[in-house]
Amino acid sequence: MLSKKEKIISILAISVLLVGVFSSLYVNATQVNKDTITINGNEYTLNQIFSMCTKRFIETDEGEKTGIALYDLILKIGISCPACHNYIIKAEDKYQQTVSWDILKTGILTDYGRVFFPETAHTFWVRNVIEIEVK
Amino acid sequence: MKNMKIFAGMILFGSLWGFSECIIGSTLSDIGAPSGAIMTGFFALTFLVISRIIYRQPGMQLGMGVIAGTLRLFNPFVGCHICSALAIMAEGAIFEILWYKISFDLSELKTITTQVSMGILTSYIVYVGGFTLTQILTPIISGPGFYFENLIAIMPNIFASGLLPALIGGSMLPAIILIKNVDFTIKERLYYPTTIGVSVLCWFIVVGIWFLINI
Repeated sequence: MLSKKEKIISILAISVLLVGVFSSLYVNATQVNKDTITINGNEYTLNQIFSMCTKRFIETDEGEKTGIALYDLILKIGISCPACHNYIIKAEDKYQQTVSWDILKTGILTDYGRVFFPETAHTFWVRNVIEIEVK
Repeated sequence: MKNMKIFAGMILFGSLWGFSECIIGSTLSDIGAPSGAIMTGFFALTFLVISRIIYRQPGMQLGMGVIAGTLRLFNPFVGCHICSALAIMAEGAIFEILWYKISFDLSELKTITTQVSMGILTSYIVYVGGFTLTQILTPIISGPGFYFENLIAIMPNIFASGLLPALIGGSMLPAIILIKNVDFTIKERLYYPTTIGVSVLCWFIVVGIWFLINI
């Protein structure tokens, strides 16, 4: 016969497993797969982005990374007063991070859709970027 | 004297945890394995539960998390140093809270069902809690600032990511509890040289490699 404490442990274990399973199903069902990146409401392919922006090399603690300069991208798509905004970088799996212009202007977007910022924690290096929202 | 022994044990187990996070965790990450889930479900759970069985000292696992997290800051290999260090420290604290009501003789965990359940529960909450806290604290500590909307957006991912460590933890805890019957007594004169020696070795290897790579 299980004690009250043992029953609670078992019920909680089943509950967290259910939360994990349903969250996994939700994440898979809502994952967005697309070939373009939405920037300030407009769709761009990586080819378009790379053809209009300056290439840049940055040094990170994972070595040298190459991509297009994010400050150049923001200026090229016509954002006025870039320093007046924050930028939410969103991934296909719904992961997202918000950065200010001061951080964004140091970063790059690679040809495999990942952003790198040389002086931030890796938490901000969003993979599989599908949107940059200007706020 | 008892406090000194516990302190030395805390440093030993914290160092072993930090060492495995740096060396084994980084290797797993490099080969594309789910390193975070394996490190929490297997290594963290093992060190936390064994230390609790041996020393029966509340607060010790919190200290182990601080030591392991501090060692993780010196991880010589790539990865998010501050994120991982904060997650490890949080894991130690969360374990401490979760196991607060569990007696030191583990009398509540007699049946295999309860042991599996506790392994699942502990690994899931420790992992998800550590992941969540690092998502809050890393942006605050590293500068850019925390945005609640970002945390809300990734909560489903965080809840989903706890599934694998939960399954690993569920299968690990019954095995870890088996060692309860093993006699860990070592001779008094060997206790401090062993604990301090192993701890120093862990730090020496990790910091040494970090030094060689960065200097």
